[in-house]
Amino acid sequence: MSEIRTSEPKGHIEVRNFSLSYDSIEGPVQAVTDTQIHVKPGEFVSIVGPSGCGKSTLLNAVAGFLKPTTGIVTVDGERVNGPGAERGMVFQQYSLFPWKTVRENVEFGLKMRGMARSQRERAARTLLGLAGLEAFEKHYPEKLSGGMKQRVGIVRALATGPKVLLLDEPFGALDAQTRVIMQQILTNMWQRLKISVLFVTHDIDEAIFLSDRVYCMTARPGSIKAEIPIPLERPRQQSMMMSSEFLALRRGLMSLIREESLKAMGGEINDMGMQGLSIELHGHSLADVI
Amino acid sequence: MPTAVAEAAPTPAVTSPATPPSFSTLALRWYRLNQGRLRATAVGIISLLAFLLVWHLLTTYRVVFFVRFTNVPSPLAVYASFTKAIHDPKFLLHIALSCRRIFIGFSLAAIAGVPLGLVMGRFKLVHEIIFPIAEVLRPIPAIAWVPMAIMLWPTNEQSIVFITFLGSFFPILVNTLHGMSLVDPVLVRAAQCLGARERSIFREVYFPASLPHIFTGLTVGMGVAWVSLIAAEMISGQYGIGYFTWEAYSLVQYPDIALGMIAIGVLGLGSSLLIRGAGHLVMPWRSTR
Repeated sequence: MSEIRTSEPKGHIEVRNFSLSYDSIEGPVQAVTDTQIHVKPGEFVSIVGPSGCGKSTLLNAVAGFLKPTTGIVTVDGERVNGPGAERGMVFQQYSLFPWKTVRENVEFGLKMRGMARSQRERAARTLLGLAGLEAFEKHYPEKLSGGMKQRVGIVRALATGPKVLLLDEPFGALDAQTRVIMQQILTNMWQRLKISVLFVTHDIDEAIFLSDRVYCMTARPGSIKAEIPIPLERPRQQSMMMSSEFLALRRGLMSLIREESLKAMGGEINDMGMQGLSIELHGHSLADVI
Repeated sequence: MPTAVAEAAPTPAVTSPATPPSFSTLALRWYRLNQGRLRATAVGIISLLAFLLVWHLLTTYRVVFFVRFTNVPSPLAVYASFTKAIHDPKFLLHIALSCRRIFIGFSLAAIAGVPLGLVMGRFKLVHEIIFPIAEVLRPIPAIAWVPMAIMLWPTNEQSIVFITFLGSFFPILVNTLHGMSLVDPVLVRAAQCLGARERSIFREVYFPASLPHIFTGLTVGMGVAWVSLIAAEMISGQYGIGYFTWEAYSLVQYPDIALGMIAIGVLGLGSSLLIRGAGHLVMPWRSTR
């Protein structure tokens, strides 16, 4: 597999002094503010946070779809100036091309690079084999189940041999069983390819189970509230999710996120003018009450 | 794969026993699977026959009830003139000329309308320049263009083709534009992430994503092309199936009026079937549903 780097791990992501705001009729809205994150080569890092905290915004900036208002995003020291094939991306909505077969979808990145047809067909077949999809290469995506679609999505993103893989709540639309299988598949591929992964999710268990490190973001405007290393040893088993170590990590992350979710909801409640609910929305006290 | 196992599980119930099923079992199964379609065909045929029967009765008894069927030709009279017409080179020439006008006018409309719609959908400035003009011209029915077309073009033939072109151009343009506006931006992002540049994104994402709407536009455009053609032929033609129908009225050849009308209907139906077939060929991912 010449297309896939198996040797030297690469893909050092760095986000420094990052903020992002956009204009609205009421003036600029701060989506993400004063954020620093990094992903070391070969590391698996997740970002969790309450909904609307800007975790996807941050990921989209690393992908190159959004320009930071201030700060800088680099991958291996090179400034990110737009989307590119060295940063593979997996989307929650799968976003496979419906007019291409499974194999043509996987081939797409190689085709863009100008690889000859026979060569990219062979590469795509091998990759599909790794994901257990060789029997479906001629199917159109519409015929596949959600889990299969997302496997194709991951394989497609990996086909060009990217340095980093960015995933935006990739398993959010899948049922619980499929999700567990997909997590296993992703872990296997990541370990085999030794690439860096930045994974956005709102599922705390998923973040802990997959990651080396987890960033927890604050409610909007989003910034990094905490950085939690996950010292669980690998390979990780499903049974680990019942271990006291796992549960302790889970409790810690839970309370961090709940605090932020309450803040976000408090903001909404105040916006709605429900003055009767004038509970103080600061810190742990309320989180503990509820 | 655990998922594959789960998907394979229900199949044993369906698999056939060791002996191959007999012909009658197969026939019965085929009948069950296609019951809905068979019924639709049967009902369709009965309904067409009923239409012919009503037509026959109304004309045989020369019914006058608000509408006058006194001079309306009966189906048998129309059939008689049909058998005569298919051996008449002049009738065939009428049809051939109409088909040629449709082919040229419609092809030009597709060649102009689809790319223009794609470019307008992609580049705001082009959209801002062209859209207002298109919006003003679009509501003008093709038939209102007849005097202008006669002034614009040196020959009658050219002005008729021009009117056919105009009729189909706007539906094609508007539907292509609509298709472009519905392209999922996430698919564009996915392509960009895989290293696609502007040109490739256009070819690999915008164009195929708009194809279903382009074909809607082509189907509608083909319908309007026939409407416009017949109108133009009736007014300014010397040949063509529209002219044939009008001439039949002037020459008191009543069965030929109905023959002309039916010919127009059949030709229109045939051409939209052609487009639908082309759509299936070009978009295999949709016809497998």
